[in-house]
Amino acid sequence: MSAAAAIEIDSVVTRFGAQKVHDGVSFRVPRGEIVAVIGGSGSGKSVLLREIIGLMRPAAGRISVLGTDVWSASEDELTALRRRFGMMFQDGALFSSLSVFDNVATPLVEQARVPAHLLGPLVRLRIALAGLPPEAAAKMPSELSGGMRKRAAVARALALEPELLFLDEPTSGLDPVTARAFDRLLRFLADELGLTIVVVTHDLDTLAGIVDRAVVLADGAVIAQGTVQDVMRVDHPWLRSYFANHGT
Amino acid sequence: MSYCRLSGTTLSLSGQWSLARIADIDGELAAAALPAAPITLDGARLQGLDTASALALLVRLGSAGATIAGLSGVNRSHARVIEAVRARMDGDAPAPRRRSRRPLAALGFAAVKLGWKLHCHLEFLGRCVAALGELVRRPGRLRWKELAAQIQHVCLEAIPVVALVTFLIGMVLAYLFGMQAEKYGASIFVVDAVAIGTSREIAPLLAAVIMAGRSGSAFTAQIGTMRLTEEIDALRTLGLSPMQVLVLPRLLASVFALPLLVFVGDVAALAGAMAISGPLLDVSPLTFIGRVDSELAFRHVAVGLAKGAVFGAVIALIGCRAGMTVGRDARSIGTSTTSTVVQGIVWVILLDALFAVLLQELGI
Repeated sequence: MSAAAAIEIDSVVTRFGAQKVHDGVSFRVPRGEIVAVIGGSGSGKSVLLREIIGLMRPAAGRISVLGTDVWSASEDELTALRRRFGMMFQDGALFSSLSVFDNVATPLVEQARVPAHLLGPLVRLRIALAGLPPEAAAKMPSELSGGMRKRAAVARALALEPELLFLDEPTSGLDPVTARAFDRLLRFLADELGLTIVVVTHDLDTLAGIVDRAVVLADGAVIAQGTVQDVMRVDHPWLRSYFANHGT
Repeated sequence: MSYCRLSGTTLSLSGQWSLARIADIDGELAAAALPAAPITLDGARLQGLDTASALALLVRLGSAGATIAGLSGVNRSHARVIEAVRARMDGDAPAPRRRSRRPLAALGFAAVKLGWKLHCHLEFLGRCVAALGELVRRPGRLRWKELAAQIQHVCLEAIPVVALVTFLIGMVLAYLFGMQAEKYGASIFVVDAVAIGTSREIAPLLAAVIMAGRSGSAFTAQIGTMRLTEEIDALRTLGLSPMQVLVLPRLLASVFALPLLVFVGDVAALAGAMAISGPLLDVSPLTFIGRVDSELAFRHVAVGLAKGAVFGAVIALIGCRAGMTVGRDARSIGTSTTSTVVQGIVWVILLDALFAVLLQELGI
């Protein structure tokens, strides 16, 4: 294993009953890069993400995140690993009865020893890093627009200073302007703070705009990976129609 | 482990500056007694710097009145982190605090809130009546399937628990009355007391309390979750009225079910009393049944059943209304459900007291 890889996935197999979702999926995510996982609906992108972060066990295969084998690690090792990555769920998954401030403060209060006088500034810093205005801190999740909810979820995912950030469809349901602003946020996090980012997406503009590397899932396997130019050159029916439909 | 050392106006940073060690770092920065002067940061021996520890440094510098005169030996990525944090610091904006109100203002707000709540209750009641009127005009609109499912849940599934509770209470009552009546050789009157007492008061109250806990809470939680997941909005946009689809079946099922449960309760309570009367009071089951037949007037049972219908309506209305007005977060479903149960029980007892006075005056 080379030290440069943040995530290594080796011949992962996933089954739901008789249906095989993944049949030997393998790829690597180098540190400091933004990697997009794309593929049609039902190709198991979100499932793969849940397997990487340790929420769902694959039927076979090995997944290693930041040097820890997720599915043979002890619960303590897994807890330690979970502090080193952040996850943004598709619809934010903010705690609905807490304000944005308290949502972001929760991981800091629970998992880190932060001096009391720094908690407020630190939470406001996270909220600012995620690109939210300071007034958003006092709002409840139900009072936020879709885009702001996603940013608040990023602020919470960033709380514990992760090395690795996972995002499940960050730009789905956002208007193009908001979506591109979100893309710039991801690029900023990767470039300025050195985060490794894995993003599951359908958004071709995200792909073309900010991604260092793409992994394409179809028919239960990785059909293409590499830079976006490399991926575009691969001849596969799903990829052809994907790029054709988007008109790029 | 030392994270920083101050010599003159140069602050030398060293080691791993990270969130995990932020308490120690902040402690050392506080102990360093930073001067209120421009300070040069020397990061030649800095191994790591994350945004949290950079924030700790900038906050301490800021509160000491110091400024950063320049960076020396700080590598590019660390400098970028410091810059990214500095650009996003919001000065001394205080944390948002909730306004506290004076007692008189709080009283006023509470009064307005109560008035508004009553207004909403009345409005909901009106909508229900309107929906019922609509149903009378077009009976075909009744959702039979939903109604049957609700009756199954509200009535059939509640029979075991209602029977058990009233059976035990019937036994307890017979036992208590029996202890007293035996002293006067009036054991047979225990039958009168239990028969009239349970059919008029105990069975309707117990059945209503059980229904408030089982079904009222379920109505609130079901409808509340549907509201949260926008299912109610979806119903409206499909041209369906949530009143017709969700509220009326529950209301009708409750009005129909509670009298039946009251009847189950009547029978179970008498059975409980009969079971204990034999061994304790020497009143044989045959004598017991004969006495019930001669002394329990139909009007007592009818009053109990009628009260059951009213209680059922009240519980269903409270449960459905609370479900339709939950806030858009997970906690408010919990508080609404609790409030449904509490309100349901309180209203049932209030109405029961009102019935007692009213029926007394009417001589029923």
